[in-house]
Amino acid sequence: MSSRPDADASADAAADPESDSPGEVGSDERFTGRGLNRVEDRRILTGEAEYVHDKAPESALHMALYRSVHPHAEIEEIDASAAEDHPGCHLVLTAEDLKGEYNPMPTGLHGFEEWSLADGTVRYVGEPVVAVVADDRYVAEDAVDLVDVSYDKLDPVIDPREARDDDVLVHEDVGTNVGDHEELTFGDPEAAFAEADHVVEGSYSWGRISGVPLETAGVVADYDEDADTFSVDCNIQLHTLVDDTVYETLGYDPDDVHLDVPPDVGGSFGTKIAIHRYCCLAAIASKELSRPVAFVEDRIENLQGGDMHSTQREYDVKLAVDDDGTIRGLDFWFVDDFGAWPRYPVNQVLKPLSVLSNAYDVRDARYEYDLVLTNKTCQTAYRGFGVPAHLYALEMIVDEAAEAVGMDPDELRRRNLIDPDQMPYELPSKNVYDSGDFPAALAHVQEKIESERDGGLLDPEIVEQRRAEGKYRGVRPTVHIEPGVSGADWTDRQRSDRESLADRDRDDVAELPEHLRAEVREDGTVLAHLATDSSGQGHQTLVTQLLADELGVLPSAIEVDYLDSAAAPTEYGSAASRMAVMVSGAAKGLGRALAENLETLASEVWDCPERDVTYRDGAVERVTGESLTLAELVSHDRDRGDRLTSASYDYEHPATQLEDFDEALARKLPVYPTAAFAANAPIVEVDATTGEVEILKLYSLRDCGTQLNPMIVEGQAHGGLAQGIGAALQEEFGYDESGQPQAITLFDYRLPSIENVPEMELDHSETPSPFTETGAKGTGEGGMIDAPASIACSINDALEPLGVKADQIPFTPNRVRERIRRVEDE
Amino acid sequence: MSADDTHAPVEYPTEEISLTINGESVAAEVEPRHKLSDFLRDRQGLRGVRVGCEHGVCGACTVLLDGRAVKSCLTYAVQVDGAEIETVEGLADDGALHPIQESFHEEHALQCGFCTSGFVMATKELLDDNPDPDRDDIEAGLADNVCRCTGYQNIYDAVNRAADRLEDGATTDASDHPGSGEADDE
Repeated sequence: MSSRPDADASADAAADPESDSPGEVGSDERFTGRGLNRVEDRRILTGEAEYVHDKAPESALHMALYRSVHPHAEIEEIDASAAEDHPGCHLVLTAEDLKGEYNPMPTGLHGFEEWSLADGTVRYVGEPVVAVVADDRYVAEDAVDLVDVSYDKLDPVIDPREARDDDVLVHEDVGTNVGDHEELTFGDPEAAFAEADHVVEGSYSWGRISGVPLETAGVVADYDEDADTFSVDCNIQLHTLVDDTVYETLGYDPDDVHLDVPPDVGGSFGTKIAIHRYCCLAAIASKELSRPVAFVEDRIENLQGGDMHSTQREYDVKLAVDDDGTIRGLDFWFVDDFGAWPRYPVNQVLKPLSVLSNAYDVRDARYEYDLVLTNKTCQTAYRGFGVPAHLYALEMIVDEAAEAVGMDPDELRRRNLIDPDQMPYELPSKNVYDSGDFPAALAHVQEKIESERDGGLLDPEIVEQRRAEGKYRGVRPTVHIEPGVSGADWTDRQRSDRESLADRDRDDVAELPEHLRAEVREDGTVLAHLATDSSGQGHQTLVTQLLADELGVLPSAIEVDYLDSAAAPTEYGSAASRMAVMVSGAAKGLGRALAENLETLASEVWDCPERDVTYRDGAVERVTGESLTLAELVSHDRDRGDRLTSASYDYEHPATQLEDFDEALARKLPVYPTAAFAANAPIVEVDATTGEVEILKLYSLRDCGTQLNPMIVEGQAHGGLAQGIGAALQEEFGYDESGQPQAITLFDYRLPSIENVPEMELDHSETPSPFTETGAKGTGEGGMIDAPASIACSINDALEPLGVKADQIPFTPNRVRERIRRVEDE
Repeated sequence: MSADDTHAPVEYPTEEISLTINGESVAAEVEPRHKLSDFLRDRQGLRGVRVGCEHGVCGACTVLLDGRAVKSCLTYAVQVDGAEIETVEGLADDGALHPIQESFHEEHALQCGFCTSGFVMATKELLDDNPDPDRDDIEAGLADNVCRCTGYQNIYDAVNRAADRLEDGATTDASDHPGSGEADDE
């Protein structure tokens, strides 16, 4: 285990971009697995990178939106005449204007008809009602100020538990606020709970938390009248998967609506899959005006009504445990507040099934949820996709179990961990963990903690002294699984006929492969095309490293570009910790496919059998000693119709290659064939007087299988952990009882700053995945998945003397104080 | 729906300003309400100035105004008449990255990159004032900038590396700094 990634400074020293010819290296030279610096950085650091905010041409008009100020109201009248009279205003759109020619936007559940602008009823503060297009954004906002809407206010429904009573309906036509419900039983939980020595219960809240990338949503739509097609530059995430939300709304075929995501997107973390409304409105406006129309969401729009809040859950959890600490059964019930409309990420209520019992060996479980609608901003996806809340609730009830049994929580956890010799381990919910040594990971961070007990942060004398000052220190290590590389087929479970799922068989499963293509250019360099979008993960660097190795050339001889939604096949995309596995598998396959094509071409040029030629390190060699470089091969390829200096490859989803996943695939249960894992030990100090929680230091042992680029792996961990710390302690989209959002600026939605992210000491182990081409496991979400639960456990440890539990996320100072006061009053 | 282009254009009041941007003299007519961030991005083509919140929290739009780091979204263009502005576009020297930029690259101190221009400019102000900052100095110097991707660990390392590099002059021995990534020839 090394605490720092490989830092061999010589790796790319030979990759001189000024060199005349593309470099060639010995085939034993490997760039994959090393911390190669990123190819994306230079354009960003010099300010030359073009994000979508930078894309509007001179000729573009600019859109601004009038948004609802009420959480729930009937729209009585929209008077936009003054806006229309504004000299700089070119277009005003309301829902009525959309209905003739366009369609409602697809939603995550059947039975909902959501127009791009509020139709008759507003259902959350910030919901767009009127779109205005003007000369520039300043003028557009002037015109928006002239829009006058009169409302008949309705009672809002804000509390997710109360929403289930249907006293106030968010959608009268649907007739209930419970948009979706399912109860799943695995094994025999009834018997487990009946037989166990103890049953513990707990209720836990997970606040409305989301990704909040630094770059807001942006679109430049340009309708081509002659071709009757749309070009839509935008920073939507999963642009080939969710493009239906745009082309179906516009009423066009997929090939006629080109969603083009720039190589640089200023973060997304899942959130930008739901920016389709803006794409639709800008495209409609462009068609109406025959001009490019640009829209950049401002931060207040983004926070209050940008369709980008995420998971908000109330949990009631039960756990059955025996006197010896054996966990016998788990029972989860929760309500998830999706806001006003059920968007595509409805399946985040299901993803926790892929890690149902986390790192513990438990065979009997029940899992039930209500997905409710309220008068709040709609949910989108966020890093972890519903798993962080599940692991948090699970670890909280495990702490309760330890207390009930009277066992040290560390010992109870250790006893229940899945053993390495149980791998691959099939969960009762049918997902399979590929590999991992969880007890070793836990032991590793426990050693780190022990080292702090002698003169360090946890030295008993210091802990005692701090406690005398009202500052409570604690740490409680936990192990967490990060499910990686989601399958695509299960994700529409809630839009499928669930009754018939039992009758489905493996042949009914349709998974999406990862597509990658490349061509050799005249100068012998290789241009590869990713079919999926990126938002800072370094995919261009990863493909460069992998292709350089596969082709035996230097990274400087590879360039990586992106395909728009019409040019690319339908892909899942960069979500669900997929890309390390899917793109690396595709890059290796593509390298092989291209080399084979080049061998075929060379054998044609030489008019010799293919067995006489071999591709090696940027050239094809013949047994006679002749060779053809990539540039020479291109010159021979020019006149061929079917080019052999290009290739494409589709890497099949790993679960489809393994019988282990047949049942999960056939039954549309969440399929995540890699199990990255982490053992965390955040050392916390809680100030009982102010309620503030400080993380003094965070130890973590992380394992994502084979590391393709340790520098990027570590960067993902740092960033994910920082987001997990924000979630655990300070970030939340609160609402007051009247339905007004309480976090509409970055003063209120408190992102972690350099001042409150602690020192992190990360170690890495590598347990390769036996299921993937490169041994890599998905690792884009880890820190966000594991930090909140582990911080909450450490807080439980710190506050044990006071009898206070971290039963609500974020555990903000006022909530800490409220609980301490409650205990003091008792 | 209305698509109406027939109105006479509105006359907005303007003010004349002249200033220096990245060493070049610039004169322009601006509306008093135009933010400096929009002026730099839309009128001067300096799109490396990123706009993340427009209320002075995220720091993505940070530029140097007479050597001081300011949020250009909280500054009006008319306020910078006669001033000297530096943006990230002015840092690289004839294609060679500035030591701060180089250090951010080598330490993997950027992911999506949207906050990076602001961090680089804030770092410049910090190191201009204090060539050898400790951890607390770095925290204080960069507390006005938000990064959502990196968790800040590599930003610390990048600032330290840049400080050492600037102290050593342009010639830095990278082997002193076992960074996250591998040095490459730029």
